[in-house]
Amino acid sequence: MSAPAPLAAPRGTGPALCAEAISKGFTSGKLRTQVLDGLSLSIDTGELTLISGPSGCGKSTLLAILSGLQPVDSGCVTALGCDLGTLDDQALERFRLLHTGFVFQGFNLFPALDALEQVELPLHYLGLSRRQARERATQSLDEVGMTPRMHLRPGELSGGEKQRVAIARALAKHPDLLFADEPTSALDAANGQVIIDILHRIARGHGTTVLCVSHDPRLVHHADRVLSMEDGRILSDRRPAPPALLSRGATA
Amino acid sequence: MVALARKTLIFEWRRFLPAVVAVGFAGLLQLLQAALVLGIFSSAGLYITGSDADLWVGFPGTQSVSLGRPIDPDLEMRLRMDPAVAAVEPFDWVDADWRGARDTGGQSVYVIGLDPRPGGLLLSRVLSPALRARLAEPDAVIVDRADTDKLGVGVGDVAVINGQRVRVVGVGHGLRALGGVNIVASLDTARRLETDPASFGRPTFLLAALSDPSQAGQVATRLRNDHAFGPYDVWTASAFSRRSIMYWMLDTGAGAGVVFLAGIVFLAGAVITSQTLMAAVAGSVREYATLNALGVGMRNLRRVVLEQAFWVGAVGLLGATLFGLLLLAFARSQDVPVVLNLPVTLLCVAVAMALAAISGLAAMRGLRRADPASLLR
Ligand SMILES: Nc1ncnc2c1ncn2[C@@H]1O[C@H](COP(=O)(O)OP(=O)(O)O)[C@@H](O)[C@H]1O
Ligand SMILES: [Mg+2]
Repeated sequence: MSAPAPLAAPRGTGPALCAEAISKGFTSGKLRTQVLDGLSLSIDTGELTLISGPSGCGKSTLLAILSGLQPVDSGCVTALGCDLGTLDDQALERFRLLHTGFVFQGFNLFPALDALEQVELPLHYLGLSRRQARERATQSLDEVGMTPRMHLRPGELSGGEKQRVAIARALAKHPDLLFADEPTSALDAANGQVIIDILHRIARGHGTTVLCVSHDPRLVHHADRVLSMEDGRILSDRRPAPPALLSRGATA
Repeated sequence: MVALARKTLIFEWRRFLPAVVAVGFAGLLQLLQAALVLGIFSSAGLYITGSDADLWVGFPGTQSVSLGRPIDPDLEMRLRMDPAVAAVEPFDWVDADWRGARDTGGQSVYVIGLDPRPGGLLLSRVLSPALRARLAEPDAVIVDRADTDKLGVGVGDVAVINGQRVRVVGVGHGLRALGGVNIVASLDTARRLETDPASFGRPTFLLAALSDPSQAGQVATRLRNDHAFGPYDVWTASAFSRRSIMYWMLDTGAGAGVVFLAGIVFLAGAVITSQTLMAAVAGSVREYATLNALGVGMRNLRRVVLEQAFWVGAVGLLGATLFGLLLLAFARSQDVPVVLNLPVTLLCVAVAMALAAISGLAAMRGLRRADPASLLR
C-alpha cells in the first residue's frame, strides 16, 4: 500500500493497527451470535480510515477490539507494534491513556464541567502539570474552533459543539490513534460536515491514525480508505482518492 | 486538578439529593435507636449512676438493684471503720402496692428509702437538695413527673402504700426506671412501709463514699474478704452499674429484641442508602466509561466516586445531626429516656459513612462488569 501523498507523514514504520483472524461472539441466554469471524485487517499510520456498513454488522465491536476496550475470542490484535492480547487490564488502561483518543456518538461529556475542564480532566491523569494541561486544553479547543465557548457547560452547547469538545478532549492527549464511533450520527448535516473536516485535519495535521466507524456516506469522500463491512466480514477495501486529495489541498 | 466529584455534586445536586436524604435518614434512625436503647438501659443503672456512692454493698450475686436482698445491718459499722470510707448510707428497697387519690386501681411500685439530709448519696444527682429535704417530713414521698397520671396523684395528694397513708410532697424528673414505678421516700418512711418480716431493720444495700474515689477497686477487694457479717459482696459503682445493664440486656430478653431491632434499622438504612447512591452514581456511568476508555484507571474513577459518597454522607449526616438534636430535645421534654454519648454517636456516623462508601463502590462494580463497548455507542 503506497501512501497517496507526501503530506501524510507516517510515524514509524509498518501499520498502526493490525488484526489477524480475529473472532468475537456474544452469548445472550441460549443464543450465540458470532459478530466477527476470522477477520483480518491492517490500518496504516496517519491515515483516516472509514469502516462503513449496516447497523449491527459488528463495526463498534471491531472498533472496541482494535482499541483495546474488548478482548477477542481468538486471533491477534497489534496496536503500535504492541500485542494487546498480552496486556492485562491495567496495562491496557495505561496503553489507552498514552496512545488512544475516543470520540463517541453520544459525546459523553460531564454535565457539571465547562468545555475547558472536560478537556483538562484526562490530561491530569496523564501526569501533566496544571499549567501544561491548561495550555494543551486551550490549544485543542482552539483547533476545533471552540475557544470562544470554552467556559460553557454541555447544557449550553449545541450537539455539534459538544462533539467538538469531545474531539478536543481526545486530541489534547496527543494520541497516536484516534477512534471515532459514529461521530456524526447524532448531528445535522452542517454540524456533521464540521466534525468530518476536523477529523480529516487531525489525520493530516498531526499524523494521527484515525479509525472512524460510520454509516454516514458523507464521510466516504474524506477518508483515505473505506472498508465496507457486512456480517462481521470486510466486503470491500477502497481508496476514494480524488476528493480526499482536493480536501487535503484546501487545508494544507 | 479538575474537582470532578464536587462539581458534579453541586451542579447535579438534584440527582444526589435522594442519596443525601437516605444517608441522613439512615443515620438518624441509627442515632435515635441508639439513643433510645442507651436511654432505656441506662435507666436500668439509674440508682447507681444517679448516686454519689463509690461502692455498693449488697447480697452476693445480686444482678441488678431491683433484685437486692436484705443484708446484715451491722455491716454499716464495719464499713465506717474502714479508714478509706468517708460516708455510709443504707438503701432500703421496698416492693409495695400503691393506691392513688384518683381511682387507678392497685399498682405495684418500688419504694426507695434514702437519707434526705444534705450530703446524702442515693439519687443525689437526680433529686435536688431542696426536693430531698422535703422527704424529712414523715410519710412524704416523691414521684416522677412522668408517672403522676399513671399513679393518679399530684403534689399535695394523699395516697396509700401497703395500706399506709403517704403524701406526695414533690415530683422529680428522671426517676423513671425499667420494669416499675419508682417512689422515693426517706429511710424512716420506707421502713414503716415495709411489710416483709425478713426485711425489718435490714437494709437492701449499703452505699459508701470514699475519701479517694480512685481507690474504689482496691477498697472493694479489701472489704469483700470479711466473713464475720454473713453473706455480702462489694462492687464499685461502675461495676455494679455495668452488671445491672448487662442483666437487662442479656437475661431479660430485652437485649435480644433491641439487637434485632438495631439489625433491622441497619438493614433498612443500608438498602435505601445503597439504592439511592448507586442510582446517583450510575447516572454518570457513561462519562466514567468514556474516561476509562481514554485510559483513566478504575482506581482513579473509584476515588472520584468515593469522594462523592463522602460528601453525600457528610451532608446527609449533618442534616441528620441537626434534626436528631431537635428530636432528642423533644423526646427529653416528653420524658422519653434518651441518652447519647460521643462514642456511640461516632459509631453511628462511621457506620453511615461506611454504608455510603460501600454503596458508591458497589455502583462502580456495575461499571467494571459492564461491557465498555455497550456503554460507548
Ligand atoms: N455485549 C454484547 N452482548 C451481546 N450482543 C452484543 C454485544 N455487543 C454487541 N452485540 C451484538 O453484536 C452485533 C454487532 O454489534 P455492533 O458491533 O454494535 O454493531 P454496529 O456497531 O455495526 O451497529 C449486534 O448484533 C449486537 O446485538
Ligand atoms: Mg455501532
